[in-house]
Amino acid sequence: MLALAGFGAVVWAFAAAGVLPVMLGELGLGTVGFGTFLGALGGAGSLLAVEQQRAAASLLVNPEAVGSARLAVAVGAAAWVAGWLALSRGLTPRAAVARADSAAKGKPLFPRLANSRDFHWGTLAAYGFGLFAAEVAFVLVYLLLVGKASTGGAVTGGLAPVTAFVLAFGGSVGVAFGAGFLGAANSRRLSVPEFTTALLYFGLPVPAFLTAMHHVGWLMLNVGYKLREVVYLSSLLGESRPELGYWLVFAGLVLATFLGINLGFVATASGRFDLRTSYESFIASRHVAVFRPRLVIGVFLVLILGIVPPLILLAIVSAADAAVSRTRIKRLGLADPLLAAEALNEQRLAAQTPTAMMTALSVGGVGVGVMALVIVLSVMSGFEADLQKKILGTNSHGVVMKYTPEMPEYAEVVEKIHRVRGITGATPFILNEVMVSSEGNISGSMIKGVDPKTVGSVTDLPASLGCEAGRPCQPMEALEDPTKIRARRLEPGVGEGAIDDTPAKPPSPLIRDPMVELPAEAPDDSVLPGIVVGKELAASLRVVVGDRINVVSPLGGELGPNGPVPKSRPFRVAGVFYSGMYEYDSKFVYIHLREAQTFFGIKGASGVEVKVDDVDDARGIMKRIYDALDGYPYRTKDWGEMNRNLFAALRLEKLVMAIILTIIVIVAAGLIVATVIMLVLEKRKEIAVLKALGVPDGGIVKIFLSEGLQIGVVGSSLGLVSGLAWCLFIEKVGIKLDPQVYYIPALPVRIVPLQTVLAVVIAILVTFLASVYPALKASQVEPVEGLKSE
Amino acid sequence: MTAPFLEVVDVYKSYFLNGKRIDVLRGVNVRIEQGELVSLIGASGSGKSTFLHVAGTLDAPAAGVMRFKGQSVFDLNDAQVAEFRNTKIGFVFQSHFLLPEFTAAENVAMPALINRRERRATMTRARELLERVGLLHRAEHKPGELSGGESQRVALARALIMQPALLLADEPTGNLDPSTGEGIHALLREVNRELGITAVVVTHNEVLARSLPRRLRLVGGQVVDADAAPPADAAPVGAPG
Ligand SMILES: Nc1ncnc2c1ncn2[C@@H]1O[C@H](COP(=O)(O)OP(=O)(O)OP(=O)(O)O)[C@@H](O)[C@H]1O
Ligand SMILES: [Mg+2]
Repeated sequence: MLALAGFGAVVWAFAAAGVLPVMLGELGLGTVGFGTFLGALGGAGSLLAVEQQRAAASLLVNPEAVGSARLAVAVGAAAWVAGWLALSRGLTPRAAVARADSAAKGKPLFPRLANSRDFHWGTLAAYGFGLFAAEVAFVLVYLLLVGKASTGGAVTGGLAPVTAFVLAFGGSVGVAFGAGFLGAANSRRLSVPEFTTALLYFGLPVPAFLTAMHHVGWLMLNVGYKLREVVYLSSLLGESRPELGYWLVFAGLVLATFLGINLGFVATASGRFDLRTSYESFIASRHVAVFRPRLVIGVFLVLILGIVPPLILLAIVSAADAAVSRTRIKRLGLADPLLAAEALNEQRLAAQTPTAMMTALSVGGVGVGVMALVIVLSVMSGFEADLQKKILGTNSHGVVMKYTPEMPEYAEVVEKIHRVRGITGATPFILNEVMVSSEGNISGSMIKGVDPKTVGSVTDLPASLGCEAGRPCQPMEALEDPTKIRARRLEPGVGEGAIDDTPAKPPSPLIRDPMVELPAEAPDDSVLPGIVVGKELAASLRVVVGDRINVVSPLGGELGPNGPVPKSRPFRVAGVFYSGMYEYDSKFVYIHLREAQTFFGIKGASGVEVKVDDVDDARGIMKRIYDALDGYPYRTKDWGEMNRNLFAALRLEKLVMAIILTIIVIVAAGLIVATVIMLVLEKRKEIAVLKALGVPDGGIVKIFLSEGLQIGVVGSSLGLVSGLAWCLFIEKVGIKLDPQVYYIPALPVRIVPLQTVLAVVIAILVTFLASVYPALKASQVEPVEGLKSE
Repeated sequence: MTAPFLEVVDVYKSYFLNGKRIDVLRGVNVRIEQGELVSLIGASGSGKSTFLHVAGTLDAPAAGVMRFKGQSVFDLNDAQVAEFRNTKIGFVFQSHFLLPEFTAAENVAMPALINRRERRATMTRARELLERVGLLHRAEHKPGELSGGESQRVALARALIMQPALLLADEPTGNLDPSTGEGIHALLREVNRELGITAVVVTHNEVLARSLPRRLRLVGGQVVDADAAPPADAAPVGAPG
């Protein structure tokens, strides 16, 4: 009680210190907890180093506010210290109130009464130092592993950030888990007060400090640069918000500690290390009875078909069943009353209890959550895969460029690239921005000079022109040899006065204009270089194969009287491609490399595009190319880097979706908490009996944890199966999308095993954690108290 | 073996109701030797069940010492107490308290399952015990489908499956007709004689009590020899002592 008062004082201290900075406003730190810590920090700072405070003052925007800020900081520190004092005061025993002696005076006290609810300082130490050590270890190990690496862009030593993160995080999770396990094993209980204290006083300061670092200038100046690798990592984790990264890691470590505590408790609460669950799961499965076929099939049907059809089905079946069985029982009753009674009894046995219904509901809740997670994540992965396919089809897997705009020695480079392992194609290119105009319209475009002979080995350009692999590609040949393009002849009176229009056969299988089937009249008077345009661009320019378009570039023109004159050149459409990416189909045009060289006055090429055999290792392969070319002045980029924004956006979206859907699972977990609490209340007497028969506290906890776990596992499995069934349905049957709007004919799905497994694991973990509290409550039922509750 | 089988010294237990203290056990001192068959009688509300619960470690006393073969039972920690309940003590409650989700046979087997004995052998043993209490034909019944006397007999079988050293039975015959009650008592005498199980049986039935070798009486919050003290002077519980 006194400890409680002390704790109240601490809470008050938190509030006081937290509220003041917020009121003053210039620190802008919202959470109560780290307001206190900042207060203490600032207080300590003001005591220790007046100069630093001055530096802080000069950095704060509002100089007048500095005094009050320092005051707030000092008050916060004082309150924090006072809270500690109050807590320790509360812990020291006070003289008991004098009372009349009882008859039992002087007799030995019942020992378990004396020490069963002790506050375990050793456990607090284990939790607190474990958490703190895990955090510090994470930072230090990470810094150590990353080493001297990546001050510029080049990795010179140490491990890649991802590897270092995985190792450091794995290690510190292990530390946190181990500390939790040992602490719980020491006290043989969950020790929630110890955990809370450890969390507040040892765990919270580190992330709070790191967050504060971003808000307090002099901290950033003095400490920030030493931790810049950590900041960089956290901004990767938190999608460019490092604070989010710190708290994510912190949450992970807290979770690990908590899991460790749980497992430590479950394993050792029965007095020795014992993880066996033979009778526990036997009892649990009788209590929750989730493996009943009726429940499993019912929930599965609801997941697959939605709520309404199974309800209708149930109504029909039970109505028919009632009609049949009632008639039967009545007839039996007329013949033999005993048989009728037996039939009635069978009916009674099939009836549902409220807890059974709650169980079904929570199984369904978990199932819905997991199903939604699986479906949505798969569809989003489908979109991502579709996007990747289209981007990779139109784009190369990587490019090699120079720091200068020209690469005259591209032939050599291509040759060197081909010698690198994992390369399936390489082709030179020139990329520039131009205007494209036809009689009908004008549009800004990206123009790419390509080598028709090798471009097919890198991109899907020939395929998107409608050519089949291994067969001569007419538009490609036309790029090579412009005489192969037949100029289009317009019906007299229909054309808009194009001079050079000549009769032509349909040169591309893609575009069939009935008008071009007309017989030729005049011979081709001007042979123009070929150009390939995208479908959307062709539509907006209103051109078809054989039409003439002008390419205008602001660069490379002669100097006129009013500055540079834009350079313009006519081309003839040799083909129209359709890649399926609106961006490309409306923006890109392709010409022969040779034409691009003369048009832009570039020697050689501007770079070399590369195709690799393993897209996922594009980064590594590009690195090998970089090494093969001896680095500078060459530089390489892989497709991920080239489209970073797009994929980052997609990943962020997926993360957000995953979080939202995890909330569904958490709501379902709330159902589980309610169900297990109901079970505990309903089974108080049974718990007491079990204890009387010799089940230790740990066994009771295991029973109810395993009840929650069974609900979670059955629900998750049903959710997984129905989610996969839905994905399969979407894949095989398909859900049509309007291609005009989405540029994709049907909803794409892609089942990624790892993320699916992760979804299920998270769901099961959440349900497990959800049943911790009720299980604990169950284990606290005293035998006699339970036996008398009736 | 110099230490007594069960020794209860100065056990106090009070209930607190609306700020009032009801002293139920006021310094109980008992000594029970191995193999004894003891009946405990006393007025209703005199604290017999309370004493049995304390002796069975199901309830915590305020003060006192209980030694089982020289070992102080109250000093055991939670896990050791659970083990003690499981292996050393068989408890038959005033009302049977069988687990409703399990069949009679599974109920009987439960203590052995908790002890992580092998499942198949345990179930066989449970059936043997049910046969012994004359209930093999009810082995697959759930407790809800048994009569009161049958349930009590199942509870007795459950208390015996671990071959406990000490059997504590709280009015096992309370709800039964005299002949069935006598059957249970005969059974108790039998296990006491054949298995050497020490037993303390609470009963209201003076006739049945008289049929047991040793009789104790709970009176005024203390346990006395029933044959020595007259039954009339039982002070009401809670009265100032
Ligand atoms: N939880 C409780 N709170 C307050 N008083 C209680 C509580 N449990 C029992 N008592 C009181 O303690 C006394 C002893 O109860 P106990 O159950 O031990 O009696 P008993 O001897 O077993 O009676 P009976 O023969 O009727 O079973 C009774 O007066 C009862 O009212
Ligand atoms: Mg009683």
